Amino acid sequence: MLGSAVLLLVVAGLLPVAVMVARSLTAAGHLGFEAYRGLLASPRQWLLVWNSLTLATLTTLGAVALGLPAGILVGRTDLGGRRALTALLAMPLLLPPYLTAVGWMAAGSQTGPVARLLGQGAAEGFSRFLFGLPGCVLVLTTAFMPLVMLLVAAALRGVPSRLEEAGLLVAPWPTVLRRVSLPLVAPGILLGAALVFLLALGEVSVPPSLRFPVFAVESLSQFSAFYDLTAATAAAMPLAALTAAVLGLEALAARRAGGARGVGVAASGNVLTIPLGKLRRPATAAVWAVAVLLVGGPLMILISQAGGPATYLEALHSAGDSLWRGVALAVVGGALLAGLGFVLAMLVRERPGGAGTAVDAAALFLFAVPGTVMGVGLIVLWNRPWANIVYATPLILLLGYLARYTAVTLRLNRAALELVPEGQIEAARVAGIGWGRRLVWVAAPAAWRGIAAAFLAGAVFCLRDVGMTLLVHPPGWDTLPVRIMTLAANGAPRLIAALCMILVAVTVAPVVVLSIILGRRAVVR
Amino acid sequence: MKLLELDSVRLAYGERVAVDGVSLTVNEGERTVILGPSGCGKTTILRLLAGLAAPDRGRVLISGQLASADGRILIEPERRGLGMVFQDLALWPHLSVIGNLDLGLRARGVPRTERKRRIHEMLELVELTELAAARPGELSGGQQQRVALARALVLEPRALLMDEPLSSLDPELNRRLREEILALQARLGFTLVYVTHDREEASGLATRIVIMNRGQVVRDGSPEDVSAAR
Repeated sequence: MLGSAVLLLVVAGLLPVAVMVARSLTAAGHLGFEAYRGLLASPRQWLLVWNSLTLATLTTLGAVALGLPAGILVGRTDLGGRRALTALLAMPLLLPPYLTAVGWMAAGSQTGPVARLLGQGAAEGFSRFLFGLPGCVLVLTTAFMPLVMLLVAAALRGVPSRLEEAGLLVAPWPTVLRRVSLPLVAPGILLGAALVFLLALGEVSVPPSLRFPVFAVESLSQFSAFYDLTAATAAAMPLAALTAAVLGLEALAARRAGGARGVGVAASGNVLTIPLGKLRRPATAAVWAVAVLLVGGPLMILISQAGGPATYLEALHSAGDSLWRGVALAVVGGALLAGLGFVLAMLVRERPGGAGTAVDAAALFLFAVPGTVMGVGLIVLWNRPWANIVYATPLILLLGYLARYTAVTLRLNRAALELVPEGQIEAARVAGIGWGRRLVWVAAPAAWRGIAAAFLAGAVFCLRDVGMTLLVHPPGWDTLPVRIMTLAANGAPRLIAALCMILVAVTVAPVVVLSIILGRRAVVR
Repeated sequence: MKLLELDSVRLAYGERVAVDGVSLTVNEGERTVILGPSGCGKTTILRLLAGLAAPDRGRVLISGQLASADGRILIEPERRGLGMVFQDLALWPHLSVIGNLDLGLRARGVPRTERKRRIHEMLELVELTELAAARPGELSGGQQQRVALARALVLEPRALLMDEPLSSLDPELNRRLREEILALQARLGFTLVYVTHDREEASGLATRIVIMNRGQVVRDGSPEDVSAAR
């Protein structure tokens, strides 16, 4: 079982990337860098690289500047309505990032709320701000900030309370937070920043919507517009190399810093609450205002633009097939991801060095690698006559989902498995129960809550995927986010707004329902 | 002169009552050992004195000043002027030995040269000068104990609270460190409140022993009195 799981990750993700590297180096029929020469000789490509790096850097700075305080506030303080606030702020992570862009674009349109409330001049000024680098930074910061927030909040909950109490004996909370707690979770913050940088670097839906040319779109257009797979491969390679380099540097820095690395940090049990005192009310009001503006704002504008139920019915009529296809793929993908993530999480738990570390690092690399890179890799590997059963069917999408999102389900399952007492697993081992049965009979029932959360997270990530799905989906197998992207160029704004809101509902509703069910069962236990 | 006072304090964690109606006074310069089995409320007494917990009922006074009462902390832990050594030592793993000693001095606004002098003196006192740049993870158990002690003492606290700091050490190291604590106390003259479940440790350190059981003080006197009453 373990060997099959590792093999699946290799075939789904690592092999396509490896084959892509090989192809890019043998483009002229022999070993060489011909494919890169054209790429590197073009000043336009260097401009695109510069744009991408600028966008990724500014987005990372924005996401850390907002996500770090947000993580502290929702994770550790007595701020009002923390759970609801966490859910609201985390929502953009569940949705395709371009959805926020569509909302802001509607806000700045000639008939949008900015024009209605502040006049046409203000709407034009807002649109000038939105279309270009500042707008991209705003949208991507909103989309990826939750990643930093959730990693910081989870890591802070893992800081042993005793270390903070030792600090409180000699210094007030702000000093303890700055000098004790945050340095201990620095690796978690660093991981969040590295992931945001890479996700922003590989983002292909927001920059074209807001007309900001970036490098990641290059391999997409080389393939979809010119069907030049060699150029697409060469264009994808720098992003893959950069992903490996950034994650390598992050791992090195995390090792030097020591301490807790992101999600999966063992909870210390007793978590101290930081009292905000007199600042509680103003801080609560300020954070809620920012959350409602950044997250709720674009969604409310979309609701307003979509209008009445008739538009939703029309939208469902025109794109309902894409919706159901996307949901079906997400359910199957989520189940496969939850299973694969669980088996690999058990491997990481039982072999924390060597094989476990390698699998964890590989999954993280595949998550951070841009969707277009993975898409090009899958096409290079599977676009062969003998592989039509994969390439021409939804199997290629499922393989892509497994490659891209195993890191998410692996980490959720790891966190759940850390709560299973070691003795339970060791007792099964002593009783002569083999690895596979230990997994199914002992670990899975004890960690079912984590598996359910992993299924949900996996399904949501499959449903929101754009970059990879856009490249590899077989004819007639587009999903709703892809359909919205293609309609966005020339579709009716009200229909697009309605489709966006349908996507929001389909994504958020199961998350809310499952959270309630899991929460209730937790109370009963 | 009275330094620390608990006046009829009660504290419960949910339904479990940790201490119930405890009154206790610790005078300046005393070496008070609180002795009792696990879960009898010894650690809770230290947490109440340090300000890490507030009593549900009753009062805590430091040098006659009301420090906490009826669920409220009136003097924050960092302003009580007390040092504490935790059972698991709670050394900050990301800071060096110097960093561990420096944080509290810095937070109190002690000038840089003064900080350096005090840290140097303290490290000499606990014989750790050569390991000043090491991180806690690189030290042996006994060396870590000394760092925890130095971290608390460098702030020149009015009283030092110690929560079973030697319980995890082998008997020989335990005895040696006890002697070092006594020597340091004789030299620096701080008030000591020491919590343990080990009678030998208690009689080796105390000028006064307080025996606790099920959240209440059941005996209080000199080591000789307590031992005679057994």
